[in-house]
Amino acid sequence: MSRMAGRVGRSEGPWPWLAAGSVALSLLLLLALLTLLAVRGLGHFWPAPLALVTLEDGQRLAGRAVHEESVPGGEARERLYFTGNRDLAGDIWTWVPVAEIASRAFPEELVVLERRRWGAFLGRLVALEGEAGRREGQAAWPALQARLAELEALRGERDRLREAVVTPLVRRLERGPDAAAEAELARANARIRELQADMAGDTLVLESVDGRRLTQPLEEVLRALRPNAMSPVDKLATWGREVWRFLSEGPRAANSAGGVWPAIFGTVLMVLLMSVVVTPFGVLAGIYLNEVAHQGRFTHLVRIAVRNLAGVPSIVYGVFGLGVFVYGIGGTLDEWFFAESLPSPTFGTGGLLWASLTLALLTLPVVIVATEEGLARVPDHQREGALALGATRVEMLTRVVLPMTAPAMLTGMILAVARAAGEVAPLMLVGVAKLAPQVPVDGDFPYLHLDRKFMHLGYHIYDLAFHGGDVQAAMPLVYATALLLVLVILVLNLTAIFLRHHLRARHGALPRH
Amino acid sequence: MSVFSSPHALSDGPILDFERSTCCLEIEGLSLAYGEKPALRDLTLRVPRHRVTAFIGPSGCGKSTLLRALNRLHDLNEEVVREGSIRLEGQDIQAPEVDVAELRRRVGMVFQAPNPFPMSIYDNVAFGLRLQGGMRKRQRDDVIEWALRSAALWEEVKERLGASAWTLSGGQQQRLVIARTLAVQPEVLLLDEPASALDPISTLKIEELIRNLKSRLSLVLVTHNMQQAARVSDYTAFLQQGELVEYGPTQTLFTNPRLRRTENYITGRMT
Amino acid sequence: MIDPLPPRPDPGRQRWRHGRDRLATLLISAGGVGVVAAVLAIGVFLAVEVVPLFLESRHGIDWRGLWLPQSVEGHALPQHRWQPEPLAPGEPAHYGMAPLAWGTLKAACWALLFAVPLALGAAIHSALYMPRRLRARLKPTLELMEAMPGVVIGFVAGLVLAPYVERHLAGALALPVILPAGILLAGGLRTTLPARLRRRLAPGWAGIWLMPWLAALAALVLWGSPWLEEALFAGDLRGWLEATLGLDYAARNAMIVGIAMGFAVIPGIYALAEDALSGVPGSLGEGAQALGATRWQTLCRVVLPAASPGIFSAVMIGAGRAVGETMIVLMASGNTALMTLNPLEGLRSMSATIAIELPEAAAGGTHYRLLILAALALFAFTFLVNTLAELVRTRLRHRYRRLEGTA
Repeated sequence: MSRMAGRVGRSEGPWPWLAAGSVALSLLLLLALLTLLAVRGLGHFWPAPLALVTLEDGQRLAGRAVHEESVPGGEARERLYFTGNRDLAGDIWTWVPVAEIASRAFPEELVVLERRRWGAFLGRLVALEGEAGRREGQAAWPALQARLAELEALRGERDRLREAVVTPLVRRLERGPDAAAEAELARANARIRELQADMAGDTLVLESVDGRRLTQPLEEVLRALRPNAMSPVDKLATWGREVWRFLSEGPRAANSAGGVWPAIFGTVLMVLLMSVVVTPFGVLAGIYLNEVAHQGRFTHLVRIAVRNLAGVPSIVYGVFGLGVFVYGIGGTLDEWFFAESLPSPTFGTGGLLWASLTLALLTLPVVIVATEEGLARVPDHQREGALALGATRVEMLTRVVLPMTAPAMLTGMILAVARAAGEVAPLMLVGVAKLAPQVPVDGDFPYLHLDRKFMHLGYHIYDLAFHGGDVQAAMPLVYATALLLVLVILVLNLTAIFLRHHLRARHGALPRH
Repeated sequence: MSVFSSPHALSDGPILDFERSTCCLEIEGLSLAYGEKPALRDLTLRVPRHRVTAFIGPSGCGKSTLLRALNRLHDLNEEVVREGSIRLEGQDIQAPEVDVAELRRRVGMVFQAPNPFPMSIYDNVAFGLRLQGGMRKRQRDDVIEWALRSAALWEEVKERLGASAWTLSGGQQQRLVIARTLAVQPEVLLLDEPASALDPISTLKIEELIRNLKSRLSLVLVTHNMQQAARVSDYTAFLQQGELVEYGPTQTLFTNPRLRRTENYITGRMT
Repeated sequence: MIDPLPPRPDPGRQRWRHGRDRLATLLISAGGVGVVAAVLAIGVFLAVEVVPLFLESRHGIDWRGLWLPQSVEGHALPQHRWQPEPLAPGEPAHYGMAPLAWGTLKAACWALLFAVPLALGAAIHSALYMPRRLRARLKPTLELMEAMPGVVIGFVAGLVLAPYVERHLAGALALPVILPAGILLAGGLRTTLPARLRRRLAPGWAGIWLMPWLAALAALVLWGSPWLEEALFAGDLRGWLEATLGLDYAARNAMIVGIAMGFAVIPGIYALAEDALSGVPGSLGEGAQALGATRWQTLCRVVLPAASPGIFSAVMIGAGRAVGETMIVLMASGNTALMTLNPLEGLRSMSATIAIELPEAAAGGTHYRLLILAALALFAFTFLVNTLAELVRTRLRHRYRRLEGTA
């Protein structure tokens, strides 16, 4: 119909403009969503300036402005500051009426400490006390930086020791007494105690801007920043480090801080397992329906049914997974093989395996339809050409037809992965966990633990946003996680779109008749 | 011409008949329908060895259908109903013990539009050989060269055997398909309007090739181009609405058709 | 040149090839039939699990009890109530499915109300007015929109949009009036522009150049929301709504769900409707244009009627998606099982109920089986709707082919 494209005549009235407006509006909605996620998700990691706010009544506070809104029913506006210091103030947020702010300043010496307990501290650094003596004033900050770097190294060594030496030894001892192992374990534990002792001992003397003092054991401090003193380059470097930490670390403080590494890992592993199941079976079914089955009315109906299953709500698949995989097959497996640990279920509860299988079932129609479309696009004369040379049906399929269909199958697989990565509802029934400290892969036989629960990016978003304690505090993390999920899915979909385009271009070059 | 005995009528038209021993294909009482739609009606004719036999007739007369019946390509279509027999060198091709793949090797086919596989020129020709197996690379290379030479393509492609077959021109592609078919040494070569998608020069090359090939195998050519039939074939069969109307030496059929229907078609006075 | 010897078929190899062919065909058939059976087993499983609900007397469930109001302690009139876990031990549980069905349909209706005009408008614009190159870009962009995970949309709707709309209610309610007016204004203003500028703002590209204009307009309206509220409703729109129209307001309400889920179903409806519109044989429209009809008249009189079954099936498929969507409703609806028409109150859909309650329900119990009944209802509804849409689409495709043949 684009042949008719051209100018909108003046006589056509308002309707064409409204139609054009709905395109603009749809695109605007998408753009708004993506911008919101990008700005909030990435902005969270930027070391924002810390304001020292003095109110009319002389009260002072240090904080990061989060947002501002008007007070209901009036002209007045209020600003929300993130002020941290849960141990001193009891709350980490402070609402400040904008009109009451007497002055704002951004002194360079304000520090942000990220602590293992009580969350962030915002205020001034007074002194660092330790074995090396007490350092105050200007000297304290460089000393703190140096000491934090040392601590980081010590902590790294300790964690490595625990993981690489202690855990395997303990496992060895569980199997039976072993003198050599015991001695080695004692040595390792002694070293760990030594490292712990090295870490302990220092304390920080801190002061909040309203003058309250606090002594803080340095061990508990993870990072220290002076955002107001940083150059843009420093800030960028810090931003990069924070993004990396977000991607590579596990969650802390009931998921409200730290990173999402276990969720990334869980999502990827689950999707991988799913595609290992769904691709061969989907392709097989597609080949069967298109090439082998009797092309009668029945096959036609089956094809429509399979197509329509792509439109069945994902939660229904979740119900099926729970009823058949978890309670049905899982329960039976438990009775047969894991009877000793009953009534606590092994496979009779949601887990990695059942989640992957459920999503595989959910995405089967996607792969089947893509495969069928690919097969339908191979011209019949290619098939006849192969048969006319004396090929059997399977030889024709494997040597001529399937190589030509491969990109379509790949597209189907990528679309299936993209759909599965964003699907949360069925997982709520068949096996995600709010917090799974153990990833489903470790050095323990059989290495891949299909029965374990796992974390998932999508569920992580839901959980943070709706089940966390302080939603306001978790919001930046939710934004960041949502952005990550959306990026993954966008990249997958763009790959599929590119592949399909490429495919069409290539088949366009086929001799046509 | 000692290869045929005197013609005698088998259906309502004058039908050429050959000694059994000089024929590669014998079609007897063949009727074929797509579901409810009949395509061929009680067809009987014999195809002589080492000659070019042409099937002509208006579109939809069943000539392509007949060709496809000769190597059982209709097996793919489940709607097809058939009666009668086709014998290749005396053996019924529809018999249960017949190996369809082997039959199709013996009765090669070239289609209307060139359909090289999306692989290299070499692999296209080697396709059938690889299916048969049991051949060393040296041996295979020789057969491929022979096949490409027989299809008059060798000189044009010998430098780029590894190039994709889709980089060839339409005429070259069609000759490649012929070479690919020749490589598995068929006894009969079926050509379904092999030049209809080609330009005049490529068409001439294909026609020359067909004339040269008849020393090696028997050819059956379907064409809607009567000049082409006249140029390359030895015998011509005229089909109309699924029936064999007239079958005779090409010369006779074109210059002195026995039936009015044939004459009308040949001279272009279609009703 | 010497002819090579004809290949002598090696019977062993031939037999092996045929054996392989038969085996592989068998495997493909077995795999294919197995997969198809497994996929179709979903419906069978749900039905089998639901049947005991009505056969076993211990559940005490009958069909009418599920849908009609039941007597509830403390209420004079029978009530619709979904309360599977008794509030206090000893009190009865209430299994009224009606509020859940109501919530599902209400959410879907609001979503369609939001999505259908936008999606159809977009489809009409891109099929009729857009240059081919731009259309080739728009389609994948909207495909990306479809790929947005429900959990992200739900999060933005529930935690960002809902509180924002609550604070800017007057502005948000004004947008559906002001934005169309703004679009028309832009169209009108364009005619007054100098010719050179007008040429650069081509109607075919209006979908793009209207974006900044609409964004600015929306921002202005939302920014001015407090003044609007002050001027029209004495600064208390919610109070006015309650007093004048008797409408309660909840932050997470059907309207928010409608917008969020509408966002999710726009691309699906758009894609199918666009297919239907651009599939109408060009000769039809050209015929009408040759008789002097404008493009819009052609659309209304010729193209839309021809494509209407396709558009109908697009809307059906959108409805199927909206009814089954879980995460968006779960996160943006407040999950209160109410039965009201008020778009500003919360709702609870079947899908969200399943997601929340099924992991807690004891396998084989009444509650468990009722939730599976809900899943069966969702399954049956979406399956039927999709099949209907598919059949309509197939028929339409045949019709186009016929039209193209005769034209």
